[in-house]
Amino acid sequence: MSIQVENNLKDTEDKQIFEQKAHYIPCKIEADGAANVDKYFEPYVTETSESELTGTFRGHPLDGSKVTFPEGYRAIVVTEAKRPLGEDADRRFQVVGGFKEFVNWNWDKKTSKNDSIVKAMDWIDIADAIHGD
Amino acid sequence: MKSLQDLEDFIKSKENFRNFRNYSDVPPICRSEACMLGVDEAGRGPVLGPMVYGVAYCPIGQNSVLEALGCDDSKVLKDTKRDEILTKMFTEDDSLNNVGWAAEIISPNYISNSMYKRAKHSLNEVSMNSAINLIKDVAERGVNITEVYVDTVGPPEKYQAKLSEIFPNYKITVAKKADSLYAIVSAASIVAKVTRDHALKVWQFQEGLDIDHTKFGSGYPSDPMTQKFMSEQIDNVFGYPLLVRFSWSTAEVMLKEKAAACTFEEVDDEGTTKKPTKSISSFFSPKKEGEAKRRKSHKFFAERHLSVCNVFE
Repeated sequence: MSIQVENNLKDTEDKQIFEQKAHYIPCKIEADGAANVDKYFEPYVTETSESELTGTFRGHPLDGSKVTFPEGYRAIVVTEAKRPLGEDADRRFQVVGGFKEFVNWNWDKKTSKNDSIVKAMDWIDIADAIHGD
Repeated sequence: MKSLQDLEDFIKSKENFRNFRNYSDVPPICRSEACMLGVDEAGRGPVLGPMVYGVAYCPIGQNSVLEALGCDDSKVLKDTKRDEILTKMFTEDDSLNNVGWAAEIISPNYISNSMYKRAKHSLNEVSMNSAINLIKDVAERGVNITEVYVDTVGPPEKYQAKLSEIFPNYKITVAKKADSLYAIVSAASIVAKVTRDHALKVWQFQEGLDIDHTKFGSGYPSDPMTQKFMSEQIDNVFGYPLLVRFSWSTAEVMLKEKAAACTFEEVDDEGTTKKPTKSISSFFSPKKEGEAKRRKSHKFFAERHLSVCNVFE
């Protein structure tokens, strides 16, 4: 099985499409697809100090902070027009956008370097040390 | 504040997902003479909108001013009558010279967030803190408080003991239906109730819903308009606009049925994370195929929620 990613946005003029806003919510949401983030979430995001944010999701208080990727890395968002039926079939994805930073949110707990998503970035350096040239 | 329009404009100027307070000027006589202060709340039960705490105060023995305003038993007054009384409190000299007031608007978002903290904060605690802070605030503004009358829905004894501990110099009376027993509590109740009604009237949805209070009703779960709103205005991911108190069972039940399931990590009473307990029979049942073969991921990866995916080409 192979996975192919097509980037039709390579020559796009619209730089913002790769600088979208992203939120990492401390909750398993059983839904896929578009969400009204602009209307239901963003209006309530408040900066309480230089790097601390507060927000609310489904009535739960959230504490957040921005996370940037290590040098040379960025996030892309891909979609798949049709998922093949077979488990081992080849899959094709299209690039639809991306982001350079995101907000890591915790439920009623200040964010820290011990949050799993922040720690996950460690792997990039370690992987480089193990597998790099 | 000279009119109900001013009150509405003031409320509109504030962000409706936060708490805020509103104060009258302190009548000079309330600084020199010993005052009584009444406390009451409005909008404790509804699933929609803010809860409002109100206080009113005036020199002891000025009951005649309160009676002239018509605050004897606020619960039997009609909405229009209450509006009329508050307008008088805003404008008539006799009232302005003797009666002061303050209100705290506790946003529905604050209520949901408090009840959904890791270590839950109950509505009773939210209420009590609001009342205590309003009394402290009024005292800080120079009002010479000596007697405090508080309306309560719960058992008065505990509440009375707590307030007496915080305010040892005041004579404190906590009673059920205090608003019909004491005119000053009735005045506080009018401040609270009218403020809540107007807060609902001017509610603006940040979520961009183009509907107003005539479409969501009183906010009481028994109101058919409120029921219609609760079952129709659901966002699959976010649930409800922040007019709604998510922590009310009416909202919880409706979202469980009609919106995407959302699971936060579970916490126990001490606020720590809890792992689901395996049932005892699970130790005896045969391992599912595949489960036994899969190697357990190293702690480094497990802690970071990292797992091996397919290779991109």
